[in-house]
Order: sequence, then structure tokens, then C-alpha cells
Amino acid sequence: MKPSIVNELAQVVGEKFVSTREDVLHTYASSASMAKNPVRPGAVVRPSDADEIAALLKIANKHQIPVTIRSGGTSLQGEVIPKPDGLVIELMRLNGIQLFEDLRSVRVGAGVTYGELDKFLSKHGLWLPISPESALGCTVAGNVAVNGAGPGSSLFGCTGEMVLGLEIVLPNSEKIQTGSEANPYAPGPFLRYAFGPDITGLFIGSLGSLGVITSVSMKVFKRMEFFDYNMYGFDSYQQAEKFLMELKDNDVNAVFTSLYEGPVLEFFMEMMGDEYGIPPMEWPYRTVSMTIGRVREDMLKSDAKLARNLCEQTGGRVIGIEQFPKNEWEGRFWTFVRACYVHGWHWRTLYHHQTPTNSHRSVEEITKVMDKYGFLGHTAGFVTGHASTNMYPHLYFDPVDPEDEAKIVEAHDELASTLFKTGAVPFKLAPFWKGRMEGTEKYMEFLSQLKRAIDPNNIMNPGVLGGI
Amino acid sequence: MDPSFVQALVDIVGEEFVSTRADVLLTYSVSASIGYDRVVPGTVVRPASTEEVSQILKLANKHKIPVTPRSGGSSLQGEVIPQEDGLVIDLLRLDSVQLFKDLRSVRVGAGVTFGVLDKYLNQHKLWVPVYPDSSLVCTVAGNVAVNGAGPGSGVQGCIAELVLGLEVVLPNGEVIQTGTEANPNAPGPFLRYAFGPDITGLLIGSLGAFGIITAVSIKTFKRMEHFYYQSYGFDTAEGAERFLSELRHNDVSIPMAAIYEGRILEFFLDMIGEEYGIPQTEWPPFTVSATIGRIRKDQLDSDIKMAESICMELDGRVVGVPELPQGEWEDRMWTFVRSSYVHGWWWMMLYHHQAPTNWHRSVEEIWNVMDKYGILGQTAGFLTGGRSYNFYPQLYFDPVDREEEEKVREAHRELSQRLFKTGAVPFKLARYWVEDVEEMKPYLQFIKNLKQNIDPNGIMNPGILGGI
Amino acid sequence: MTEIDLDDLREELLQCRRCGICRNSVYEAKGFDGICPIWRNTSGFETSFMRGKIQVALALLDGTLERTAENAESLYQCALCGNCTQICAAEFHPAHIMETVRYVLNELPNESRDKIAESIKSVDNPYNEDPSSRRVWLEELGLNVPTSSEILYFVGCTSGLRIQNIAKNTALILNAAKTDFAVMENEPCCGSVMMRTGRMEEARENAEKVVDAIKATGAKKVIVSCAGCLKTLRKDYSEKFGIEMPEILHIVEYSKELLAENKLKLKSLDNIKVTYHDPCHLGREMEIYEEPREIIQAIPGVNLVEVNPNRNTAICCGAGGGLRSYDSDLSRKIAADRMKAFEETGAKTVVSACPFCETNLIAGSKLLDSDIEVVDVVDLLRRAIE
Repeated sequence: MKPSIVNELAQVVGEKFVSTREDVLHTYASSASMAKNPVRPGAVVRPSDADEIAALLKIANKHQIPVTIRSGGTSLQGEVIPKPDGLVIELMRLNGIQLFEDLRSVRVGAGVTYGELDKFLSKHGLWLPISPESALGCTVAGNVAVNGAGPGSSLFGCTGEMVLGLEIVLPNSEKIQTGSEANPYAPGPFLRYAFGPDITGLFIGSLGSLGVITSVSMKVFKRMEFFDYNMYGFDSYQQAEKFLMELKDNDVNAVFTSLYEGPVLEFFMEMMGDEYGIPPMEWPYRTVSMTIGRVREDMLKSDAKLARNLCEQTGGRVIGIEQFPKNEWEGRFWTFVRACYVHGWHWRTLYHHQTPTNSHRSVEEITKVMDKYGFLGHTAGFVTGHASTNMYPHLYFDPVDPEDEAKIVEAHDELASTLFKTGAVPFKLAPFWKGRMEGTEKYMEFLSQLKRAIDPNNIMNPGVLGGI
Repeated sequence: MDPSFVQALVDIVGEEFVSTRADVLLTYSVSASIGYDRVVPGTVVRPASTEEVSQILKLANKHKIPVTPRSGGSSLQGEVIPQEDGLVIDLLRLDSVQLFKDLRSVRVGAGVTFGVLDKYLNQHKLWVPVYPDSSLVCTVAGNVAVNGAGPGSGVQGCIAELVLGLEVVLPNGEVIQTGTEANPNAPGPFLRYAFGPDITGLLIGSLGAFGIITAVSIKTFKRMEHFYYQSYGFDTAEGAERFLSELRHNDVSIPMAAIYEGRILEFFLDMIGEEYGIPQTEWPPFTVSATIGRIRKDQLDSDIKMAESICMELDGRVVGVPELPQGEWEDRMWTFVRSSYVHGWWWMMLYHHQAPTNWHRSVEEIWNVMDKYGILGQTAGFLTGGRSYNFYPQLYFDPVDREEEEKVREAHRELSQRLFKTGAVPFKLARYWVEDVEEMKPYLQFIKNLKQNIDPNGIMNPGILGGI
Repeated sequence: MTEIDLDDLREELLQCRRCGICRNSVYEAKGFDGICPIWRNTSGFETSFMRGKIQVALALLDGTLERTAENAESLYQCALCGNCTQICAAEFHPAHIMETVRYVLNELPNESRDKIAESIKSVDNPYNEDPSSRRVWLEELGLNVPTSSEILYFVGCTSGLRIQNIAKNTALILNAAKTDFAVMENEPCCGSVMMRTGRMEEARENAEKVVDAIKATGAKKVIVSCAGCLKTLRKDYSEKFGIEMPEILHIVEYSKELLAENKLKLKSLDNIKVTYHDPCHLGREMEIYEEPREIIQAIPGVNLVEVNPNRNTAICCGAGGGLRSYDSDLSRKIAADRMKAFEETGAKTVVSACPFCETNLIAGSKLLDSDIEVVDVVDLLRRAIE
């Protein structure tokens, strides 16, 4: 990057918080996304507030420098891989937390992680009941930008559902506030759907391509204190899928419900069984691992009983092992990271949603691709919101074997195509979906049009939204 | 209107469904919005399909004819008052209903009313659990376009929270589908947050300014069968406000809960008390009229107990008049219409949302304005989504007294400004809310920018979104 | 040390899948309240915490980054405190592997590292002090301590040459318990800092010298009062060099035995509120968390309050891993940051069990203008001995 531009950046954030050092640029060339080629940016800045970000975007726009917004750097699908010689704006210094206890909401700066927020809220007997599996490194704002999900989503949906408003610096450097806080007289965040069209939604899942989310206002809830952990076994996927829908229909408060295929669960148990203290056993064709949670004890007992009945009515059996779901839930900030890394492989993920009654199709396609290309991997999914399952297949490769890695990249691309044909949908419109979504051309054109309207110089994370 | 243009419309929808007759145009010059001046359009067209809507918009765009989409015509704040000599597209012929039982969702054409849908879903023991007060005429699509709320919102929030996807005809005539159905292979609607930014949200509350919603995919739920109706009394507004917040905080399921100030309730019951069979009661200064509803009986019993104990903790009392909430809930598709018209006045409406701690501020300001202008009116607010009150103040006037109507219009304007300063927010972005508010300018500018790009010829309901 | 297999090293570094929880995890249920003190106390770019350091290491090893002093800076800007290892979900030890990387890349220029190594080689201590002054403090005490005995007090460079109170009080405690012990005439340095900074070959030569010197004293048991000496003598010598050592005990471990055997009589210290700093080498490396606390709590009138975070998730004082010499300003800043946390406990005294931590915490205290006193466990224990 030209020294004169770097100088302009330094005038905004101060010398200390801009870097063009080779080593620093190298570390911003990648993120937690594996099997992505690193791309070295031209400069990295660490601003402290929205006004600085506005000034930075002005400079970037003036010189037409591509900008990549990054906070925790935990995303897995290349969302924050910069452009060559581009500018990375890292948001970790935006760290305020403001609680609105009366409004049952909280406003946090873009640098606040789920771990930090949870510690803060737990003091008040509150929580934000959804956290991504990367909760210790992932920021709330970053997760809104990718619209993630995780433990808690089985009841509350994806992160998008928790948002009450956003503070956004637009590419043209204007700062806007969405939701009820758009009214400067409002006592705080209490409603997302204020002032007409849901502008908040436009930025949820926008992957930093439409502006910079500098602050997010989120719903908070009374922290549940009563939980029931159990596993439920089924001999067919139809039974298991029906069980999941029956739970929903009958208002069983499952905060986290995962559906495992037999061999996948065995593989998990090989890795984690000892750490969880679970005895070796033969797992059924399909296993549902479920945490039910309630703020009231009598409601929990009622739910737990009904869940067992529904399991039996749909032809399943109650396995009676509580350690597994309990570890998933209580250890939710760490245990999934552990399961992702304990085995030593590198992998690519391919996040997608499938309706619960179709989740077996994802398993089938993933198995097919693994067989065809001859590699290891696994997939499982957890119920999200009203009627969806969030699937997170992992395709493993050996990081020191470039051939193996190339094979995985190819398999991954093929899988995106075949999954799309099963009716799966991406929530993160990651670049690899580009060209693999036949029939969405007009939708994508509309998105492009919005992108052009909001970011005419196309400086904001170009290409990240399915190639836009 | 140019006869060749009318002929082109005839070519699309057939002679029968185009009208330029003066009597017909007159009926489309108004809607249920009282206190608004009538504007006579040039043509009304009643297409039968999305494809026809698409062709009509292509034509209108080419000829730069202003378009007002309209379905039930039941909106109360001038949302479908057409442009002079403009084109009205009446969507009531788009009347398909498609149930996706496995996906817990339904897709309805833009002409389907809540009443029609409710009857259909009832056969399957399902429902869409938010009912606008105008359910018998209001279409689901129309309600999504204005983002309404109503009985049921106490648990579910506004209608937006239930939407899973939209079919939209853009101003250029292109048809896009949002949500999971954007994937043509998807088994149906099961997730709103698919394919990146929440485009669905952008169309919710857009008042037809960005395009025409031709189909809505929306969540369905198992119909609740267990209800409990009760009125709770409080000496202070704060007590009543806290009560409802605490109910939601402790997971008490209250699909409908409204707070009434004593004198407003008296006034209200003067009108319809007898029809409801409500006994003469010594009403407390503040009354919460609540419907508790559950799918399961034991849950309901638990909720009833919980509600009582919270009421006691807050120094409230159980009033013991179930007839009020029961009338509101059981007769929810008609009773609010009845109470809006039984008294004989005409009125202007000023929908807004207020923070959960701020219910009393709206009531205060409405009294202030009624006192200042010497007009009659009433207001109450019902809980929406557990963090907000939906207010529907009505300012009465005599339809044959032009001067009084003018006074009410002026009072209405002033009230919007006063309410804004209490921190209230509109969910419908009417011009009078935001004009001259300095802090809102970047926000409006952003919407304007979107509007200009999505609808470069400005044909879609121009002026409706905050004057844009 | 055997030759490092670079492929193995790379494979181990690739255990890092860049999840980033080594930056600032707050994980209340497991006691974590922030991870990397370097990230917190610098401009905070990615190179400051372990995820970035591993990326830099890989790039320096494979040539993606040119091997220059500047590009290697982040490798040395690390206290090797090991808090990242505690939170790391992968199967490797980031702090230990960073030592190996420093060794493999030890041809890269680093003035402070080389100066320390030279000093240890020539005068047996990293401070370039006259080695003949090592027993001066004993003369000041007026104790007659031999140079050979079954129990050896291995004083360590910082206690012997810088914070001699620790040496004195350790000796007084042993004396009060009637333990016969020796102190060497020319005590060599344990070489800890050489290992940390990548001068492994010199560290091995030095270790052989240390072993010979200890053998010469006839010691069957070696007591140390420094957490670094403890880890180096007890763990590193055997693991890295395969050297057999006599039993090595930290004074907190030994004092616990003395207390259990009623060999120390304690008087009440008037109602003082203290907090405890877990030295990284004592805590995370040796997993000695309870002994110092038990000693503190054994003293009547002393009220121990815990700092947040503590034990295995404690934040480092900032002195370790050669950082104190490599970037002393940063090192002090980290100490000041840690002192802030101690202030929040309301305690007036911070107790540590490592002279190196104490030195740095005092420096941090000055920077912060804090009036909290920083002492060693032996200082407190000595005060309570009748």
C-alpha cells in the first residue's frame, strides 16, 4: 500500500494501530478458515470507534481500496480473507457492553466476544441464549454478520432472530442506527421492526459486504436453570426426523438437539467418549442428543416426560445417557472446538440448512462424496428454530499433503452443488456457492443491485457474497 | 390514462379485470384509512397470478406510471391511497394456499385473508398465531407489507417474526423468491435466513415501495387448546408494566395482554361492556387484560400459578373478570373492529411501539393532546414479543364536521412528534414521524438510496416510505 | 538436545487450526478471564497472541516470511506463560513448541538473548554480576552454612544477586526448622532463560556444569526458591537432556512438609489481607497451586483473597520467556496490568513464590503507582515464625 495512504490511515487511528509490517500482514492473510489460500493485505488498522471507521472508509473509498472487516477471525468459510494489498479493519477494540435490564436487551460493541458477554450477563441472571461453537473467540457482531447458530438455536433460531438493532457505518461513511434506537429519544433497544423496512435484516448475514456493523443490540432472556439431558435412539431416519418435529409441535423446550448418524456418533465417541466419560456401546442407526431447558422446574419435568413419551410413540427408545448432551450443553463454549481439533486433521466445512425431514439427504450426499473421493469426514446437524437443521459437515485433509488438500477442495465444491440439489440452503452465502445455485440467478442479481446501490465502488469485501 | 396503456393491461389480465370506470375508481380512491383525503387513480387492475403482476409492472415501469399495490384495503394510515391518475393493482385474486405440514409452514397468495387461512389451518389443528385486528379483510401479504401485529403477538411478536420467505415482483417485473424457497429444489419454506442478507426483511414493512409481495410463506404452529382468561389490577402504571415484562421473563405464555388505564377502560366498556357480558366492576387504576394460552394443560396450570404469584409480588390483585380478555381473544377477528366502530365516530390512528417501561408515556401524551385540542379518543397498548407495546390510539372526529376533522389531523401530527420524543417508534414509516428529525436523516437517506436503486423510476407507491 | 525434525515441527505447528481462542477467551465456567497478556498490553495485532505467532513461525520456517529480526520479533515477544496452552483445544503445547521454534531459528539476530547467554557462560548468571558475591547475603545473616550437605539450597540468580531477602528468609526458615543445608560457593545458573530463548546447546552445556556442581555438594535433596529453577532442574533437565537429578523441591513444597511435621511455630500476623500470584513455572508448568496457598492460610491472622483469574488460568506477570530482557517496557506494562487486578481484590499484599515474578510485579507496581506490597511466600512465612 502506498505510504501516503498508510499515512492517512495513521492519522485516523494513530501510528500504533496501523501496521504494514510483513509479519503482521501475514497473520491477517488467513483466519480460522482452513484450506483457503492466504492473501496478504496491504495494511491492517485497529480503530477504536465508529467515527474512526467512518474516516477509514472515506479513505478507502477515495483510493478505491478493497476493505475486509474482521473481528474474532474465527469464521470457517473464508469470510475474512482479504484482497491483495487491501485494507483489513479489525474491530476488536470496540468493546463496550451496555445492559438495558428493563428492556431485556443489551448493546455490545463489535469487539465483544460471546464469552465476555456471557460472563457479564450471568451476573444479572441473564443470557443471550444462542452462542456459536466458537464462542470464546467469536464476537457477537461477527456472528450477526455471518448469521450463525449454535447451542440454544434449537429453541431460539439463528443469531439473526436475537437482533434488535445495529449501528452501521455505511461504505459512504454515513453512520446509521437501525431498530428502535434509530429514535434518539428511545430508552434503548426494544424492537427490531421499527421505522419501516427491516434494514437490520439487510445487514444480518451480509458478511461485511454492505457496511461495517460497529455495535449490535440483542435480546437477553432470563437464564435457564433447569435442564434435562438425554439421548434417544431410532432405527430409521423417518422416526428420528418425526420425533424432532413432534417435539417442536408440542412445545418441548429443547435448547439444543443434535441428530447423529450411527457411524458418525461412533467416530465422535472414539475421539471424545473418554473425555466425556461415556462407556463404549453400540449406537443406534440414528441418535438424538438433546438438552431441554426451562426457567421453571415444573415445566422442565413436564417437557422431559413428554419427550420420552414422544420418543416411544415414534418408535424410538430412550437411551438414558446424559453425559453426552450434558457435555455438549454445559461445555458449549469449548467442547465443539475440542471435537473439531482433537483429531489432528485439517478440514473444510460446508455449513448449510436442511429441513429436519430432509436431513438424511445431506448425510447421504456427504457419504457419497466421501466414497467417491476417498477421504474421511463426518457430518451432524442440530435443530435450528422453527423447522430447520443446521448441518456442519467436515471434510478432512492432511495439511502437509497438498494433493490431499486439492482433493478436498474439489470434493467440497462438488458437495455444494449436490447439496443444493437436495434442497439444502446456505445461510452464509460463502463464495464457493457461486455458480452452484441454479435457479437463483434473479435473486443474486437483486443482491448485486443492492450491493451496487450501497457500495458503488465495491470496496466492501468484494466477492464474498456468493461472488458479488 | 392513456388508452393504449389500458389496452396493454387488458391484454395481460383480460377485459373483465381492468377498470377505468368512475365509480370503480372512486372506490379505490379510499381505503379503511379515515381522515385521509381521497385520490382517484386512473386505472384499477386485478391480476390473477404472479406472472400477470410481473407483466403489469414491466408495463408500468416502461410508461413510468405510479403503482399502488392493494389487497384487503384495510390499512388505517393511508398506505394504499393511490396516486392521481395512477395504477392500482388489486391482489385479491392471488388466492392460493399451500400447506407444508412437515415443514410447519404454509405459503399463501397475496389475496388470502387471515380469516380464510385460519379456517383452512383449523382443519389441520394448526394456526398462524398472530391476528391483526382486521383479520376478516386483511390479507397476510398486506399485513406483512405493513408489518402489523395483533392478538397472538404477546408471544410471537409482530407478523414479521413468522415470515419464512416472500415471493416478490420487483419494480422491473423480475420475480424473486426469498428464504429457503429461493432454492428451487427446496421442499418448501423452512427458514427465512437463507442465502445471505435477509432480503425478506427488506420487504417486510416496505409498504409496497420496493416491489409487490405476491406470496408469503409463513410459520404455522399447533393450535393451542388450553386458555385461561384473567384481569389483573395495579395501582400504578409501573406495576402493570413490570407485570407483563416479568410474565414474559418467566416464560408465561400470554398470546394477548393489554394494559388499560382506568378511565379508558371505563369508556371502552361503556361501548361494548354489555356485548361482552362484563359485569359492573370497580376497575383498578390500571388493568391488565390477559389471555394465557398453551398447547398442554399442565403448562397452562403452571402459567396460571406463576402469573398470580408475579401479580402478588408486584402488589397487584387478581380482578377476576375473565370476560374482558375472553371476549378479546375468542372474538379476536371481529371484536376490535366492533369496538372501533360501535361508537359512531370516525377517527385517525397513530400506530406505534413503546418500550416495556414506557407504556404510561404514550398514554400521558395522548391525554395531553386530547386535552389541548379538546378532542375525544382512546388508546391501549398490547404486548408484542415480550419487549414492546403496540399502541393503537384513535383520535375521534365527526365525519360531517370538517373543522373537527382538521383539528384531529393537526392533533395527530402533533401527537406523532410528541410520541417520538418519548422514545416511541413507528413500525410503519409514515412521513409525519420522521420529517425534520435531524438524527433520522442518514437513515432516511439510506432508504432513499435503496429505493432509487430498486425502483429507479419511482413508480412503486411513491412518497409512502417517510416521504420517499 | 537431539536434532529437531523440521517436518515434525511443522506438523506440530499445524495442529493450530487458527481458531483464535488463545487471544482473549472469557470462559467463566472454567475460570478463564482473558488469555494473552501480550495481546492486551500491546497494539494488539494478530502477531501479539499465539495464533499469530504460530503463523509467523510457520512462515519463517518455510520461507514465506524472510528471516529477519523484525519478522521474528513476535516469537520473542511472548512470555511463554502457557495460558494459551490451557485453553487450546488441539493436541499440542503452544508455549513449549514456541521454545523449539526459537531454538530452530536461533541464528536470527536477538541481542538480549545473546547477551544473557554470554553472561551465563562467562559469569554464571544472566545479570553479568560478579559471581563471587553469591554468598554475601549469608554473611550478612551471620549464619554459618556449609557448602556441602545432604540438603542443598540452590539459591538461584535472582534471589542470590537481586532480591536477597528471599534467599535470607528461605535460609532463616530452614534454620528455624533445624534443617541442615548447604549453599554452594560458586553456584551456577540453572540456564532456564537460555532454554526459553532458544540457546539450547549452551543450555545443555550449562546443565552439565550444574549437575556436576550439585553432585559435588553431595546433595540428595535440592531446595529452590525460584519457580524457574524448579521447572528447569526438575523437569527440563530430564525431559530435554535426559539428565538424572536428585529430588528437587520448591521451598513452598518443603515448607508444607515442615509445617505438617510441626517444625515451624507460627505467630499471628495482625489481620492482614493478602492475595496470591501464581507464577507460571510453578503453577501451569509444575501444577503447584495449593501448597503456597496452604502455607499462607496456615499463618494465623492472614486472610487470603483470590485474584481473578487464578491458578491454571492466572495471567502472567510478564517477566518470563526472556521478555523481561527482550522488551522490558512491555514486560513492566503487563506487570502493571496484573497489579491492577490485584488492587481489585482489596488486598494490601501480593504474595508470590518466584523472585522473577516479584521483581517484575514491583516494577509494575511502580509504573502503576500502586501502594500494594509485593512479597514472597518465604517473606510472609518468615515474619510469622516466632
